[in-house]
Amino acid sequence: MAKTIIKTVDLRKTYMQGKIPVEALREVNLEVKEGEFLSVLGPSGSGKSTLLNLIGALDKPTGGKLFIENIDVSALNDNQLADLRMKIGFVFQFFNLIPRFTARENVELPMSIAGLSKGERRKRAEELLQMVGLASRMNHKPTELSGGEQQRVAIARALANNPRFLLMDEPTGNIDSKNAYEIIRLVKRLNEDKGVTIIMVTHDQQLATEAKRIVYMLDGMIVRETVN
Amino acid sequence: MRIIDVFSYAFSAIKLRKLRAGLTTLGVVIGIAAIVALLSITQGLQVAISAQLQRGFATDTLIVTAGGGLGGVNEFNLLVKDAQTIKEMDNVTASIAVIQRICYIRMPNGQTRRVTVTGVDFAAYREIYSSAFAAEEGEIPLNPEDDAIVIGKQVSNPWGNGTILCRTGDTLEILWTNTTARPLRNETYVGRVAAVLREIGGFTIGGPSDNRIYIPISKAQSFFGTETCEMIIVKLRNDDRATIDSAAKAIKEALGGRVSVTSSTAILNIISSVFSTVELFLAGIAAISLLVAGIGIMNIMIVSVMERTREIGILKALGMKNHQVLLIFLCEAAIIGLLGTLIGIGAGWSLAQIVLRIFGSSDRVGIIRQGNQAGVSNGITITPVLTPTVILGALVFGLTVTMVFALYPAWKASKLKPVDALRYE
Ligand SMILES: Nc1ncnc2c1ncn2[C@@H]1O[C@H](COP(=O)(O)OP(=O)(O)OP(=O)(O)O)[C@@H](O)[C@H]1O
Ligand SMILES: [Mg+2]
Repeated sequence: MAKTIIKTVDLRKTYMQGKIPVEALREVNLEVKEGEFLSVLGPSGSGKSTLLNLIGALDKPTGGKLFIENIDVSALNDNQLADLRMKIGFVFQFFNLIPRFTARENVELPMSIAGLSKGERRKRAEELLQMVGLASRMNHKPTELSGGEQQRVAIARALANNPRFLLMDEPTGNIDSKNAYEIIRLVKRLNEDKGVTIIMVTHDQQLATEAKRIVYMLDGMIVRETVN
Repeated sequence: MRIIDVFSYAFSAIKLRKLRAGLTTLGVVIGIAAIVALLSITQGLQVAISAQLQRGFATDTLIVTAGGGLGGVNEFNLLVKDAQTIKEMDNVTASIAVIQRICYIRMPNGQTRRVTVTGVDFAAYREIYSSAFAAEEGEIPLNPEDDAIVIGKQVSNPWGNGTILCRTGDTLEILWTNTTARPLRNETYVGRVAAVLREIGGFTIGGPSDNRIYIPISKAQSFFGTETCEMIIVKLRNDDRATIDSAAKAIKEALGGRVSVTSSTAILNIISSVFSTVELFLAGIAAISLLVAGIGIMNIMIVSVMERTREIGILKALGMKNHQVLLIFLCEAAIIGLLGTLIGIGAGWSLAQIVLRIFGSSDRVGIIRQGNQAGVSNGITITPVLTPTVILGALVFGLTVTMVFALYPAWKASKLKPVDALRYE
């Protein structure tokens, strides 16, 4: 049996909109095992991004517990959270590449933050870009790349520091369907060939079924689960 | 994250907004340039003046002038023979009376000029101011004939361009209007130039000066028909504080407390303290312009942090720590501050050169162009002085101001929460 790498226990997140509390997550219990490819499906506003941000240590829960590799994340300080984020690959709907950097420099950035030398970073960035099929686009800036290409750069960047798992928030939300399937194929290959654990948020039913396991969310709760 | 990578990241951010970074840098450049220019000019001035003072001032002398009592009209006259009284006192090695009158002299070419005629004992004067009261041409007679005259360099060669109006051996007619006689009476006599002094420059108190002429004291007494003198110059055995103070006190007492006794050293001290004050004041004004530049930096950085909120969110999502974000923004400010300071030092130095070239035409800057009683000036040469202390001080100050004002925006950037930053449009 593969070991559990993410576990949430009654996880809650309540935002305050002025004086009105908005319960984005209520008592979410989820367990993700190493090597899984999980997709989270649900209508807009159901709390998918909120859940992903908590798991990615980008935000702090207001209740319940979150364990990543058996470490209680809510007990970590800012520096420890930063170290944790370095070990988590995050892929955003809007790519979030640094516009002034080339594809290769963008992929090098997390390794630069991790303190790798210029030579090491460069070599690994080139390997990663080659793996996502962008060997010929390494010195292009994001504005010179298509949406699909930008997202592949973002995936290469997310993989740079050998993350424990990959979190993807609607990675194909800004990409046309043909390129979207390219991305999904890449993601599946990462999961199947390299054993990368993946959680992908989407509200596209079709794409979600590419995953081995689907979690359905509604009003801040997990309401159903299916396994392919 | 390696420090070199922090630096190159900061640099890439600056490069993106060249115009903005340039203008911010310009603010620092102006502030630092103003400080450096002012300091190097005032320091140059100070160096030039003290160099002149070393020549024109004998630190072991006292100047005795009539007056100095408390209030009221001073009826007291200093007499030529008082010099003899003072000479017999303790610690005094020489004491000479000085008579001064504004006269006209007729040059060999027929031109007349207005000069201050000074009557002194040539031998004693020479003893006190041996380096300044020295002949360039001819010889200063130690037992002068009554009609002997010693003239300053500027009297002989007023424009410094080779047009010599009179030289050794020439005769000069001296005209003086006795304004105390009723009716006014014009007196004249013809003197013979025995020596031309070498150039002295600067200003002196009591000492020789380039634009005067000197006649024997006995001739001055008879020609001006007076027993009184304008001042008595006293040379002491040494320039110890105690010697100066006790001699000054003794002289004052001997002359009934109705004279003022000034020590050259005291004047030197006053002049240098005035200069320090002026320097500090000007530097303070310049510093304000640097503070304004600092506020500009803060403003730009706040805008920059806002603009780059999303970028900061990305960096944090990729695992960057708060202090590393802080470091990046401080590093951006440091690059601008360092660049601005370095350029500012160069610009300030050039500015000082230009200012002195414009205001010091033909290399001379007149400070106090006035000849009366004790203080006399000709003009002195000033070159700006840039000491390592000023360079280092400017660097430290420029960088400190930049960093202090950058601290708040950088701190704000470092404290941004990753989710909030990523959501920012
Ligand atoms: N910063 C915030 N402040 C207040 N309310 C928020 C904030 N972020 C999210 N919410 C609210 O929390 C709920 C869940 O939002 P979330 O972004 O997780 O939904 P989502 O499932 O990702 O939706 P979408 O498919 O549109 O991306 C929504 O009602 C949203 O309005
Ligand atoms: Mg969402």
